[in-house]
Amino acid sequence: MEVLRLHNLQKSFGSVRALKSASFTLNEGEVVALLGDNGAGKSTLIKAISGVFPVDRGDIYVRGQKVSIRSTRDAMDLGIETIHQDTSLAPDLSIARNLFLGREPVNLKWLGVFAPLDLAKLRDAAAALLKRVGISKKLDADALVSTLSGGERQSIAISRAMQFAAKVIILDEPTNNLGVEETHGVLRFVKEVRAAGHSVLLITHNIHHVFQVADRIIVMRRGEIVAEQTVADTDLLTVESIITGADMSALLKETRAK
Amino acid sequence: MTIAAEQEMPRSKRRSSLIRSPQFSSLVILIVLLAVFAIADANFLSPLNISNMMAFLPELGIIALGMTLLLTAGEFDLSVGAVFGLAPVVVMLLVQNGGFDIGIALLAGLLLCIAIGAVNGLIVTKIGISSFLVTLSMLLVVRGAALYITQGFPLKSWDQPGFFVTLLAGSFNIGTFRFYTSLWWFIGLSLLAIYVLHYAKLGNWISAIGSNRNAAVARGVPADAVKIWLFILTSVLAGLAGMISAFRISAASPVAGTGYELEVIAMVVVGGTALTGGRGTILGTIVGALMLRSIRNGIVLIGVPGLAYNIFVGVIILAMLILHALLQKNAARS
Repeated sequence: MEVLRLHNLQKSFGSVRALKSASFTLNEGEVVALLGDNGAGKSTLIKAISGVFPVDRGDIYVRGQKVSIRSTRDAMDLGIETIHQDTSLAPDLSIARNLFLGREPVNLKWLGVFAPLDLAKLRDAAAALLKRVGISKKLDADALVSTLSGGERQSIAISRAMQFAAKVIILDEPTNNLGVEETHGVLRFVKEVRAAGHSVLLITHNIHHVFQVADRIIVMRRGEIVAEQTVADTDLLTVESIITGADMSALLKETRAK
Repeated sequence: MTIAAEQEMPRSKRRSSLIRSPQFSSLVILIVLLAVFAIADANFLSPLNISNMMAFLPELGIIALGMTLLLTAGEFDLSVGAVFGLAPVVVMLLVQNGGFDIGIALLAGLLLCIAIGAVNGLIVTKIGISSFLVTLSMLLVVRGAALYITQGFPLKSWDQPGFFVTLLAGSFNIGTFRFYTSLWWFIGLSLLAIYVLHYAKLGNWISAIGSNRNAAVARGVPADAVKIWLFILTSVLAGLAGMISAFRISAASPVAGTGYELEVIAMVVVGGTALTGGRGTILGTIVGALMLRSIRNGIVLIGVPGLAYNIFVGVIILAMLILHALLQKNAARS
């Protein structure tokens, strides 16, 4: 079933056409990898979906409904959660406080921003969540995020997205700067996320990781989607050549023919 | 709620996290400092001297509370000392030259502080200039304005007893101690600040903004609005402290509060709040305010020559910061 559909998204910054045209569909319980070199338009595309800036033209549909995403809050409310490696968590806050940042459980709600945090609920919910995603053994909900490793931080950020029942989880370079062990941990986590019924849009430079977790691959070049293939139908070398544009004409023909 | 949660923690863990907390090392330094001064001069702990210290403490302490919240959110305000000087000067000019009622004049002073804070906040967040530069410029504008409108002369402050004077600068005796109502303001505002920073939803936002602004914004936290309100709050508290001071000494001087911005920041940082944002502690700031106040008081009592006074203050603050950093490093290692 279709969860997210983009139709002809376009975005320019001054005279630079960062996104010439992008259309694709993301289905339920599917991991789609978005590949491309630096400047291919990947981050412009995900910023548009996650509400960082509006697109110039084009439509976004969530579960078949046309939506307008004007802010990150809009995207979150529609069930689209974006996780950037360095910008997802506040290191000086505890795991529990990070998990509920912006959606804190409070008592006396009428006090608005001055409402007291429901600390017991915060702690319990955080502990339950860590347990559910299978990382409670190692981590205490009261631990500061600054004491965690990069992989643990990724897991926390992804757990948070799952917590709010996100339909679409966008992972922006989730394995950058991670060790081998930690990378495997995060990739395993992505599979669990899919098993739990969430859809994942994975942005990465590392093609090897893509082949381990993704169902489908979308390749961007110079602001356009130049290829879209299921992982089973392609191989590493082919994808690599599409990204670099080494043998574009033949591959484009192949894609268009599909 | 919190107490129950704390009781769940094993005792050993609770103790080590207490020792590791930045407020704790500040408290240790404060106690040592008080002991040294008390031994050096018996008058240090006399009721008269304690009363004196408590009269001065709230004036800088109140500003330090606002500065703690602002620093936790990752911003500075260097214009607080100038606002401390300008607010009472404007209020007294309105009363003496403009013939306005003191209540109206105070309201105008409050609005002025709100405006100064709002301008600081708007320029910092919307135009994206560092708060260091923005508030440094604002310091010059505000101080310059205070000097210009008074032509550099101090004004006689409101000295007729009445509601506002009692509210801001009334005094009362407890035994042989003489306290000012400003102490109640400081205590009340401290409790409020502790609540907001550590227990309210807003405090979670403030810490998150200072710790990683992008993360907070990505979660839908209105970071700019929070910062603007914190600039306004800090400015208003600086104005309030200025009024309290002016009422207490019955004079409003255009140069009052010169250099206070740095002393306030020193109080906050010595207390354990991170200069880089994200980690703030009101309890630490209270300890820091006590520390700076007792240094200023203590070195006069032990007979440091007047002109050498600032050398000593500077050296002691530096020594405390070093000691603080070492204690923290040690605690982190163990």
